[in-house]
Amino acid sequence: MIEAFRLGVFSRGATLWDGLDFAFGDAAAWVVVGPPSSGKTLLLSILRGDRRPDAGDVVVSGESLFRGNAALARSYRASCGHVPEQTVTDARLTVGDLFRRSALVGFGVRESERKDRSDRLLAMVGVPGAWEWRIVEMSTSERVRTCLATELFRGPKVLFCDGAVAAAGMPYREMLWGLFRALAREGNTVVLAERTIPEDWAVASGAGLPVGPFRVYRLPVSDSKGNLG
Amino acid sequence: MSETPSLWWIDWRLSRGTLARETIWRFLCFCLFGFALLSLLLSGGANRFLADRYAITAVLQADVPSAEAEGLARKVAALPPVRSAVYRDPEAAWKEFLKAYPGLEPLRAAGGNPLPGYIEVRFRHDRLTEGDVDLVASALRSVSRVDQVLAGEEWLPRFLRAGRYASWACWGLFGAILAGFFLVGRLQERGRAVAFAGDFSFLAERGIPAGRLALSRAAGAAVSGFLLAAAGAAAGGGALFLLLGKLPLLARMIGPPSDLLLPRTVASVVLFSCCAALLSAASSLLGGRAARSGRK
Repeated sequence: MIEAFRLGVFSRGATLWDGLDFAFGDAAAWVVVGPPSSGKTLLLSILRGDRRPDAGDVVVSGESLFRGNAALARSYRASCGHVPEQTVTDARLTVGDLFRRSALVGFGVRESERKDRSDRLLAMVGVPGAWEWRIVEMSTSERVRTCLATELFRGPKVLFCDGAVAAAGMPYREMLWGLFRALAREGNTVVLAERTIPEDWAVASGAGLPVGPFRVYRLPVSDSKGNLG
Repeated sequence: MSETPSLWWIDWRLSRGTLARETIWRFLCFCLFGFALLSLLLSGGANRFLADRYAITAVLQADVPSAEAEGLARKVAALPPVRSAVYRDPEAAWKEFLKAYPGLEPLRAAGGNPLPGYIEVRFRHDRLTEGDVDLVASALRSVSRVDQVLAGEEWLPRFLRAGRYASWACWGLFGAILAGFFLVGRLQERGRAVAFAGDFSFLAERGIPAGRLALSRAAGAAVSGFLLAAAGAAAGGGALFLLLGKLPLLARMIGPPSDLLLPRTVASVVLFSCCAALLSAASSLLGGRAARSGRK
């Protein structure tokens, strides 16, 4: 459970937002929707523990992320996956390098398993056989999906995606929804930040809860027919 | 999955090709350093060369019997600073004289061998000091059967000072090249830290403190520095061992090959490897810090 209490951020001499409360339960997929420059990326970085808020606190499983045990906070951050809005642009990197980099953070994967597992993940996000591809030569959609695959490679407990659904593009929305639902069913927490929520997702999620400049939706874990499997 | 990932050998895992090239280059450098270090240690800079050149000559009185002169030479040889003390009888002295000054045979025709016997005293290379030369010369002068002691005391201080300067110059040059090597190493570490900046910020975003990362990299650099220095010194020492065995002239200036296996030589190599480990760790830390501050 990730809870944020009375969150406030002051930026460029003004209050961006203040006094916001959030609660992201486990085993669920959440979408935070907000207009451009409303601080969605900033909110995700605060929830990840990467940036300290100017006011308020974030509590993960009952432990303060910024005022509590530093080791626990590090452990939480290591258990997070993050698909940033600005994906990797380093010209020398290949998809294989991203997987190697991801494997540095979590060491449950043996070298022999790595290739097989990454191939399956790449196929799952719609870029099969991309291991040798250079990141700079990929489209924005391919980069986002590849980045998602490299994060899933470590099996993160909490996954933060910043603008991933919009960047992935229309043809991959169904696949992403299915993926996020599957992750949630496995007990993980998925937090997405988007400018808009796809219409069918909004229909399935209901009206959403307004929090400051944002609206928070909880995606249903069961499929559109109400089945869990 | 483990929530505390190991950062051991992280540079190797990130870029094997670059690190392999750097490791080969460093190993070759450590081979040369090992060769130079062992040569300097064994030779004592210029000490062994000077000790090979310098000798005290104790000229004996004309009527000293050979047995007594040899007994005296043995006593002198037992003095701690003395490497060898050899008695040359008047006949041997005459032959040496003629070898140095050919054509002076008629001198002997006048009244027999005009030269007395003498004892040639040579010093250990690590005991060739003014104090030790005074000690041996005084001991020889106190013997009634010794007519004259030629120790070159009037030019000895300058001779020894020149030797000291030569030794300092050798060690200074060695130190300067070593310092240059670690400066290049620091630049390489910095370049690598810049190249891995994306990877390191990726790790930092996932809760790995920059300090832990820097310490892990420094620890890896220290271990590899120690192993490379030890392996390089061993390889350089092996090459020196073979060279000293084949070139006696070199062995006279540097020392016998067996000295390479003395405990103090081995201890020096271990100490050198430890210093290389510390400097490698420092290069890694400084290079990483410079890369971080350079990005700001």
